[in-house]
Amino acid sequence: MAAAPSSRPFEYLESLPGTVFFKLYQQPSTALAIFRRMLPDLAKCFVMALLYLKDPLPAADLEVWVKSESLKERDNALSILGRLHILSNTVIANNVRAYMVTNPFAASLRHALTGAEQTQSFGVLAHPSNAAAVSIANLDDYARRQWEGVLGYMVGTSGLGIQRDVNLSKGVKQLLQAGHLVEIRGARVDITKDGFAFVLQDVSTQVWHILILYVESAEAIGMDSVEVLSFVFLLSSLELGQSYEKRHLTANQLRTLADLADFGIVYQESPEAAHFYPTRLATTLTSDSSALSNPIAGSLAGNPTGDPSSSSSAANKAGTGFIIIETNYRLYAYTSSPLQISLIALFTTLKYRFPNLITGKITRQSIRRAVEMGITADQIISYLSTHAHPQMRKHNTSRSTSNQAGIPQSILPPTVVDQIRLWQLERDRVQATAGFLFKDFVSLAEYEAPCRYAEEIGVLVWKSDRKRMFFVTRHEQVAAFLRSRK
Amino acid sequence: MNTIDATEHYSTSAHDRPPSLLTVILDTNPHAWAQLSSQSALPLSTAVANILVFLNAHLACNYANEVAVVASHTQKATWLYPVAAAAAADPNQPPGDKDGDTPMLPQTQNRPPPPHEMNKYRPFRIVEEQVTQNLHRLLGGTTADDLSATTSTLMAGALTLALSHINRRTIAWAEAHGGETDPNAHANNNNTTTSTNTAGGGAAAAASGGDKASTESGLQSRILILSVSSATGAAHQYIPIMNAIFACQRLQIPIDVCKLAGDAVFLQQAADATKGVYMALAEPRGLLQYLMMAFLPDQRSRRHLILPTRVDVDFRAACFCHRRVVDIGFVCSICLSIFCEPLEKGECLTCGSVLEMGDYGAKPAVVARKKKKKKVRGPGNGASATPTPTPTPGP
Repeated sequence: MAAAPSSRPFEYLESLPGTVFFKLYQQPSTALAIFRRMLPDLAKCFVMALLYLKDPLPAADLEVWVKSESLKERDNALSILGRLHILSNTVIANNVRAYMVTNPFAASLRHALTGAEQTQSFGVLAHPSNAAAVSIANLDDYARRQWEGVLGYMVGTSGLGIQRDVNLSKGVKQLLQAGHLVEIRGARVDITKDGFAFVLQDVSTQVWHILILYVESAEAIGMDSVEVLSFVFLLSSLELGQSYEKRHLTANQLRTLADLADFGIVYQESPEAAHFYPTRLATTLTSDSSALSNPIAGSLAGNPTGDPSSSSSAANKAGTGFIIIETNYRLYAYTSSPLQISLIALFTTLKYRFPNLITGKITRQSIRRAVEMGITADQIISYLSTHAHPQMRKHNTSRSTSNQAGIPQSILPPTVVDQIRLWQLERDRVQATAGFLFKDFVSLAEYEAPCRYAEEIGVLVWKSDRKRMFFVTRHEQVAAFLRSRK
Repeated sequence: MNTIDATEHYSTSAHDRPPSLLTVILDTNPHAWAQLSSQSALPLSTAVANILVFLNAHLACNYANEVAVVASHTQKATWLYPVAAAAAADPNQPPGDKDGDTPMLPQTQNRPPPPHEMNKYRPFRIVEEQVTQNLHRLLGGTTADDLSATTSTLMAGALTLALSHINRRTIAWAEAHGGETDPNAHANNNNTTTSTNTAGGGAAAAASGGDKASTESGLQSRILILSVSSATGAAHQYIPIMNAIFACQRLQIPIDVCKLAGDAVFLQQAADATKGVYMALAEPRGLLQYLMMAFLPDQRSRRHLILPTRVDVDFRAACFCHRRVVDIGFVCSICLSIFCEPLEKGECLTCGSVLEMGDYGAKPAVVARKKKKKKVRGPGNGASATPTPTPTPGP
């Protein structure tokens, strides 16, 4: 589903019961964050159009608004809105179906836009003296160090000579273990398949992954997961470089704050300090792709052992990438970070190492080895394109504009991308999809309508017209559709 | 099995959604607002409050979305937001257009923020504070002399300000994101926008082509004009407005027009030429709902939506000699300048070419001659009866 790039937090939210949504949407910051981060473009248009309408909008009117060739996008948007309990179906006079934005969400989003309510939903700004303020560069440095420490712990870079100036708390290690990202056997730390997948993702996805793990485990240590989750959304709406008061927070939120400080998501001078600073990891939570090119991702990738001033300025000016890959499968990575080198070594045969550069080659063996460890081709490709050197972006943009207009350009050479997938296919011939099978339709007409509906809302995986069966990943809406036809 | 087919690799970058920049041009003409608020009970303060909610909604749509607000006033066009960026404004602007030279009002300056705004999302609050403060300053700095001098609004200046800001942001964004557009495109953009400032006719001629790829992947910009003034007073700005429109057309920046009152000849053409939305509001009090429904969707969403456009666009032009809006005019065959009446001495006022008006108003002689020619040719006496080649002047 291309419309929901943040699949992990989306899936988690979707699995929550409706009452949780009711509680979550009480906070304007949560409504804003979910609106911004989870919805596709068209869904945002729908919500905003309906937000200030007094009466529900008849479904027919909404359907007229969308072009007929974009039916699929419309149904997809409506389906996501329904699953997140943002849009509800009602019936107004004359038995006309109509849509409206559900109430706690609508009220909260309106409050977010107009700021009319007396809540501390967007944090309370502290005004420390100028001397005490922490600069953005320092915050970036802190966040990068902590986050790199977490990743380094997982990959086990201690053997490669990284200086262990980051002390991970017990909570962090437990969380990583509880999320099955690492397995701790005595003193040894072994990374799992999920862990490999995790470290190859971009920073924003990683942060979300960790936060969702944290929220899931919050119940186990006696915290209300809704409270933690809405606090996470609150953090995402704070401003970088500002400090915020802690005295308005509840005990659980303070506890969360201390835990998140270990990850570098927030910064506080000491656990007893009266205010805290969100770092870039927190403030870019609601951005989608642009988070890839923020200075943290850049400094994480490029120059992690350098001094903070040079690394952040270099990242600010030149984007983030450091990997060049050629059509002959040779790979050059301008990095000296032990973490990045060990990541690249997962799927590359390394050849030379220079002070700021490593070279290697992607081969069939190296990809097979990676696939055997549980890394997928998609993860490798997304890692490579996330960290592609600006030269690669420039080169391929200028080339692809000339010949293929409609197709979004890929940064990597297509041959390499294809070959990595083909090498994976050699091993990986069966793909499992969890879902639901609809069968035993009486007539062809009865089969066709729900099948087409499932295709439009994007849940259809497989169908057979002859056997009158189809297979979907989600059944609720198809079932509702079937019920509505009876 | 199809889903893991290697040929689907193009979809990997499909979720890369670039932010969009919305530039709102607010017509603050006091004459028009006074008229509008008496007619339909929409004072400027209510309209501004609605616009601010709309700006917030745009900011809410994407983390990296940006807004800019320009006021098109009676005697000048000035920035309402962002002011810091405008302080280092384009050197091409005439000095009267610069902001910062208006005197600040002390009571609006160091006002402590009201406590109820404390829980507002900070980007929203910054925009709101700046816009209201600068608008206050602008209106406070308007003297009675300024108002009596003219009743129109400086739409051309505002459009040019908006365009130069968009150009700056586009370049900055492309530089920050690994050179999505090539330097040639930048050079072209620069030429186009700066030449609109000089109001030369050359920029209009360059309205061809356009790089689709850079607008697909780069920063997406659009302009929304909230117009209240009647355009007949703005006919003297016809040339700069049209140049700005052509620059937008070339850069693929839609100009959306939300018409609260009056008629807008040129703005209809602006929306039509740039594929923007044109709406004349029947009920201006529902401004916010109109804004949210018709003007909020960005270019990506617009591909899926049916948007209100105008079918009967008023394509009339203003003449170059007296700035009158004309239905039928005289066009110079060399430089395509438009005139409302036959020229004295037959000399084009723009390019100076001497035009042969002939005996204007007389019965067209060509038709009659052709008929004659056929008759003459019949007998075979061709050589003497072909007068046509001789009068054509040399190059």
